[in-house]
Amino acid sequence: MTIVEAGVRPRPVSTTPPTGPRARKRQRPEPFTVISYVGVIAFALICVVPFWMIIAGSLTAESSLSQRGYSFWPDPFSLDAYTTIFAGSRVWLSYGATLFITVVGTVIAVAATSGIAWVIARGLPWMSRPLAVFAYIPMLFTGGLVPMYILITQVLQLRDSWFAVILPLVIAPFLVFVQVSFFRATPQEILDAARIDGAGELRIFFQVVLPLSKPVIAVIALFYAVTFWNEWFHALLFISEPAKYPLQLVLQNLITSVANAADLGTTTAAPVYQMRLAMTVITIGPILLAYPFAQRYFVKGLTLGATKG
Amino acid sequence: MSTDLGAASNTFAATGSERGRSRQKGRGRDYGLVILAAPAVVLLLVFAYGPMAGLVVAFQDFNVADGVFGSPWTGLENFEFFFTSGGAGRILWNTLFLNVLFLAATLASGVLLAIMLNEIRGHVTKRFFQSVIFVPYFVSPIVVSIFLQAFLAGPSGRGGLVNDLTDVFGLPSVSWYTEPGPWPWILTAVKVWQMGGYMSVIFLAAITAIPEEVYEAGVIDGASRAQMALRITLPLLKPTAAILLVLGVGRIFYGDFGTIYAIVGDNGTLFSTTDVIDTYVFRALRTIGDFGTTAAIGLFQSVVGFVLVVVATLVQRRYAKETSLL
Repeated sequence: MTIVEAGVRPRPVSTTPPTGPRARKRQRPEPFTVISYVGVIAFALICVVPFWMIIAGSLTAESSLSQRGYSFWPDPFSLDAYTTIFAGSRVWLSYGATLFITVVGTVIAVAATSGIAWVIARGLPWMSRPLAVFAYIPMLFTGGLVPMYILITQVLQLRDSWFAVILPLVIAPFLVFVQVSFFRATPQEILDAARIDGAGELRIFFQVVLPLSKPVIAVIALFYAVTFWNEWFHALLFISEPAKYPLQLVLQNLITSVANAADLGTTTAAPVYQMRLAMTVITIGPILLAYPFAQRYFVKGLTLGATKG
Repeated sequence: MSTDLGAASNTFAATGSERGRSRQKGRGRDYGLVILAAPAVVLLLVFAYGPMAGLVVAFQDFNVADGVFGSPWTGLENFEFFFTSGGAGRILWNTLFLNVLFLAATLASGVLLAIMLNEIRGHVTKRFFQSVIFVPYFVSPIVVSIFLQAFLAGPSGRGGLVNDLTDVFGLPSVSWYTEPGPWPWILTAVKVWQMGGYMSVIFLAAITAIPEEVYEAGVIDGASRAQMALRITLPLLKPTAAILLVLGVGRIFYGDFGTIYAIVGDNGTLFSTTDVIDTYVFRALRTIGDFGTTAAIGLFQSVVGFVLVVVATLVQRRYAKETSLL
């Protein structure tokens, strides 16, 4: 009798979802759970409402905006801002600039980051550790704004070039180490097999490691792409020719003076406030559209960097 | 990216232990690896190490015509100029004060959100809310600034949504963009809005790593959900919070240029509470074009920042050893 009891005791609560006590709780949620739901929903609303206000505002007629301010519903509905912006050439130019910076920047960044990350992950004593230190030091110590400014404008003569925006950002040490931790998990047997078949280091990297690493490359690429899409600091410093402004810099000019919105269209009587909001929507549009598909990669990248290392 | 140092320092530990496993027979075969590492090495040399070397202009009376190698040396004159100019104390204070506020508020909101998210049943629902509160992280400071203007200053001189709301309750309107007092708190609210979801993703990952048995023991002992959150989850989040805190402390001397400059810009009436080292340096470079002094401030910032990062990293390592949870 006692033996049987002792044998049963360790198993009453299983790790799989609702057993006895849980099922009871589902019928009557505890106050703490209710509060949590309310809290999460409230914060989620706070996160979303500004987006909605801007989108609604961008569709509200200028006269209504300046008389009644922002509202939750576009009344009267108006597409004036969008038609004015897309009739002008500036938005296309700045979209082109942002696309160039994002695409070229991400390609260079992913290539360079993957390369150094794999060499660090290979664990060769004479190469990997020195390289890890070499990639780590820039996280501890930076030269700062002034030397970077002199480097770009005086030494490299990259003023008004999109590469002045791209190149300072193409190696993010954090992402190098995220990728290193992923590469480490590459099964040694596969590498050994490739080596026995006579594959060199380059061949192993391109034909064995990279195809196995698509998930982490997606993570890295997305983080870089968002960085480049949102980048404006280096553009602010180094791009002074309006025709080469990326989207963020165009938007920044609209913050300093809303009258700058008139430059976006072709007419002088432009709905400037509405246009500022429309330009904001145009700028964040691609990120919002891609986000539902990309968000799990961001969560993965963040938790990989935070917990596994 | 506030988790970078943790990832990196763990990487070093692993590099040492695994090095024997995949030793090559001869170095001659490794030329392929040299090719793979070369682009990143060149880029880091030019764009990370180059500017470090360029910090010598902090000790020069730099002018464009003579360049880095030809400008006359002035010793510590540039540093003297900054520290005796009167603005230094205020800027340093603002930098530290704002960063302490940001750090405390984002960490607290991250923990709170993660614990609340953890209460949500159903994988899909939880995932949905996590995604929604993570969205603001992906918006640039410029866009955040425009969002904020909708709330604090409406179109064509109107009051914005917050003032519309205070009007309803008969409270006086506030001209937010000329009132420096509340700005540290406004900026903190902006940081919580933008980083709360990001932090909660990290903390939720830590919660997921807590073994289920701990909670089962709690259930058997008759603990309520609130008690389990307070007495099991919260204490077990301490190591993660400690690491993020220590990393934040290491960055405490670097002002949040993006957020602050995008929102405050060149609005001088708000400088008394919002001007930080990074915005000051940027403005000094743009308006005065004084390379020497601004580089001196940058060097001072980098050195103090470096010391803080190293101390913080050492503290983190020690802490990580003692808790044995990491």
